[in-house]
Parts: sequence; C-alpha cells; structure tokens
Amino acid sequence: MRNKILTVDDSKTVRIIVKKAFKGFDCEIFEAANGVEGLALAAKDMPDLILLDVTMPVMDGVEMLTKLKADPQLKGIPVMMLTAEGGREHVLKIAKIGVRDYIVKPFKEDLLIDKAGRIIDLKPLSDGPGRIRSILDPVDVLVVEDKPAIVEQIRDGLKHTPWTIHGAESQARALDMCSKKLPDLILISLSLPDDTSFALLRALRANPKTKYVPAFALVVKTELGIQAQAQQVGFTSIITKPIDTAELESKAAKAMNLDTSSRYYKVEGDYVVMSLPENCSPAVLAEAAHYLKTKFSESVDAGHNRAIIDIHFVRSLHMGVIKLLLQAMQTCRELAMSYTLVGNAQIITECKGFEDTRSWQFFATVEEAKAAMVKELVGA
Amino acid sequence: MPAIQEISDTLIRDQIVKAVVEVFKTMLSEAIGLSTNPENQQLWPPYTVPHAPQAHVVGTVGFLGDINGLIYIYLPVAFAEHCTGKLLGMTAEELTEAGAEPVNDAVGELTNMIVGVFKNGLCDVGYACKLTIPSIMRGDNFSVDVKRPNSRHIYVFESHGHRVVADILMKTDE
Repeated sequence: MRNKILTVDDSKTVRIIVKKAFKGFDCEIFEAANGVEGLALAAKDMPDLILLDVTMPVMDGVEMLTKLKADPQLKGIPVMMLTAEGGREHVLKIAKIGVRDYIVKPFKEDLLIDKAGRIIDLKPLSDGPGRIRSILDPVDVLVVEDKPAIVEQIRDGLKHTPWTIHGAESQARALDMCSKKLPDLILISLSLPDDTSFALLRALRANPKTKYVPAFALVVKTELGIQAQAQQVGFTSIITKPIDTAELESKAAKAMNLDTSSRYYKVEGDYVVMSLPENCSPAVLAEAAHYLKTKFSESVDAGHNRAIIDIHFVRSLHMGVIKLLLQAMQTCRELAMSYTLVGNAQIITECKGFEDTRSWQFFATVEEAKAAMVKELVGA
Repeated sequence: MPAIQEISDTLIRDQIVKAVVEVFKTMLSEAIGLSTNPENQQLWPPYTVPHAPQAHVVGTVGFLGDINGLIYIYLPVAFAEHCTGKLLGMTAEELTEAGAEPVNDAVGELTNMIVGVFKNGLCDVGYACKLTIPSIMRGDNFSVDVKRPNSRHIYVFESHGHRVVADILMKTDE
C-alpha cells in the first residue's frame, strides 16, 4: 500500500523539496500551508507520516502538534519536525509533546529519506506500470569483492549481456558507490575481512534507498556454515564459488524481475519461434514455460498464428523437455495456431523411443519448417 | 541570561558566517565565504554598485525573545534565480515561465534557514528566541535605515563572483 505523507510548511519551496526527495518512492504527498490546513488534511487522509514546520501563519506547528496529540483519532500518526527552529530548549519542549524525530533546516534530502524510512516502510518506485525491464536492458551490478580476479571473472562471464559490472573492494567504497548511483543488484563476497560483508548487508537494509535492492552472497561452495548464516541474515540468494555465470545470470535476472522471454521467444515475420537452448536445466524449462501462454497469445493477437518449436540446439531429450513441448503443442491447439517442430538427428532418434513422442515430425531447420507451413497453407 | 551588550561582534560574525556557509553548502552545494575583496566592502548598500545598479531579491526574517532583531539577506536577481533552480531542480526556462513567485519563496526559505542557524547558535548560549515568518522585497533602489548604527552588522559574502550581503539589525536595551 502506498505511504501517505503530509508536509505542513508555509514555504512552497520546502514542500517542493519534500516532494522531490520522495519522488523515487511509492508514496503520495499531501501539502498544507499551515496548522489549520494540516489538521484538516490529517483527519481527512490519515497520513502515515506528518512532516511539520514550526513557524507558520494562521496556526503554527506547535499548536497543530498539540491539537493532533489531543485527538484520539489522530494522535497515533507519527510526526517528524522539519524546521529552522533548533535551539536545544525549543527542541526539548517540542519533543515532550510527542514527535518521532526532529530535523533542523538546512537539511539534505538523503537525511530526510533516511529518517522517514525509519518510521515508515519506504518502497522504491518500479519503472512504472507500462515498462517492464527486459534482459536486453542495461542494468548496473555492483560486486563487492576484495579480489579483482573474481570481479573480472563475473564481468567476463556476463559480457554477452548489456549489464555493467562495477567493482568495490570494501564496504565503505560500496556504500559510497550506492549513494552516488543506485545499483540494480549487489553481489557481496562473504570473504571480506572482519565480518564486513554482514555489516554491509545490514547497512544496505537500513537505508530506504537500498533496502529493496537484491543482494547476493558470494561464498565458497564448501563453506556450508557461512551459506546457512547468509540465508538467515536475509541475502536474496547465494552464489557459490567457483562461479557458474549462467546460474548467476539466471538468478540475477529473476531477482531484478527482468523479462527474459526474449531468450526463448521471438517473432520472425509471420511466425513466433520458440527456441530452447542446448542445456535445458529445470530453471531454464520453468522460465520458458512461464512465458509460453503469454507469448503465443500475443502472437495470435498480432495476427501471427503460426508457431515454430525449435529444439535443434537441445543436446538430449528428457521428461522435462517433453513435458514443455507437449504444453506448447496444447497451447497452439487451444489458440488455433498451426505449428511445426525443428530438431536435430539425436533428438529425432530419441523421440522414437517414447510412446508420446514417436509420431512427432521434425524439420532440420527453421527455414525448412517455414517453407513447409507455407506449402501447407497454399495447398489448403 | 547575559546582557545583550555582551554578545560580541566575533560571536555575531562567527554565527552568520556559519549560517550562510552551512545553508549554501547543504541546500545548494555551493561554496560561499566572506568576501576578501576590499572593493566589495565599500559597496554598500548593494544598489550603489557604481555604473552597474543591480536588481536584488531581499529576504527578511526576524527573531524575537531574549534578543530581538532581524536579518536581511541580499541576493542579486540573477544569482537568486540560479539558487532557486538548484534548490527546486528547475531549469532556467521553467523559472522564466513560473515568474517571480518561486524565486521569492526560495529566497524567503533560504533566509529563514540562515536566520534559523544564526539564532539557534545564540539560543544555545543563553538567548532564547523564536523566528518570525519571512518576507521578501525586490528592487534596485532602496535602503534600510537604522536609528542606532552601532546595532547594525553588515557582512559581505562572495560565491562564484556573486555578492551576497547579510545585514543584521539587533535591538539594543537602550
């Protein structure tokens, strides 16, 4: 649910700065120019947080705060003072009425976000409802690792992606880089000295800006105790060393919520081509199955009702692959799509060995499959 | 409470320098400091710049309590617009379209913050006082007169060649 924040300040400038500060977070900002307007909006909208100035015309912040705390309906709303009034005695007097925090102007937007994030759960905004990021979009990955060779290995293993891999050798450097540009994913080596890996995760999770950035732990495969500890403290996922970059890529894409359908589905002219890779691991099959219905339906919607199911890269047939192919064929039938299969000699031979697959007809290439479908269409 | 006369010129200077530098650094990421240019010190009031009268936006905020007074912060219009753009994330075109209002409000808020830091420092050494609501003046030919010139402190600051003036008027017990 969106957080509602009420900013009560007679200065439009401050209200604009507050709105600007929370722009990247999923919250709605309400504005009031004095205490009277503030109380009315608080009663009407029941905000999750009130940011309150002191010196204002009509009704000042101290009077509004006093009235708010005297109202049984409103007294539970947390209030954070945001004011130029900062003498020690003044702050103590206001604190006694009941405020959750106190920021004395001038203030940095980051400080406001940090303090607000300790009172309410600030969630960063996604890229918007109409824009789902794809595996083909550039993303920033921060690798916190004191061994440059590992950073280089990850960079090399992911060089076929449009992802940018940034290296940070220490906790301090990582936090500094996060404050300058928020990464989309953070990989933290658990072999950093003095427990700093866990301290870094705690610092990231305590900051509203980095709280929801997925963080993977990089740990040696045999260190099972540390892996269990990493799971307990809340790492999004664990990547073991030596690093399998294909596994890393797959887990990273999932954690960053990237659309990976382009790995398996593409439109070629009037055809939708479903293509499976050489190694069909359970994760790969699950990913391909996830997009199956959507991609075939989109194709029909766009006027392309012919599918080519291409498994000529697949090394060997197993139940997982057969199950997905049966699902694809069934989907084609449900959507009234015609389809053909493309496979290699090994796959064709293996198909003869199963009852369910014995009757499948394959073409050697996608082009041959397309030509056959055209011929069939002309014949009809 | 110490007597008002016990507030030294040094304390006033230190507090206003701290206030101006802190507000410009925190809110605008701009470097500013007391002007070391001797010519600048003679250019008072700001509109008397020889051969180049400049329009100014002037913010005023008072402080009332154990000590009473007010502070005027003078910014040349062009610099005030630059500061407003940085503060609100607005482009020059957007500012032109929006007119004087955002610039006036931004200068009012910057003045409020500067006077806030200044008077909070005085509060912490025993002079409890509260801020007043900011007000704004614009023009290129006006001056503020005081009955007792010894209660007036003028400091000239410089940021990227722009002159910012802090004019502090404090009410004495006389």
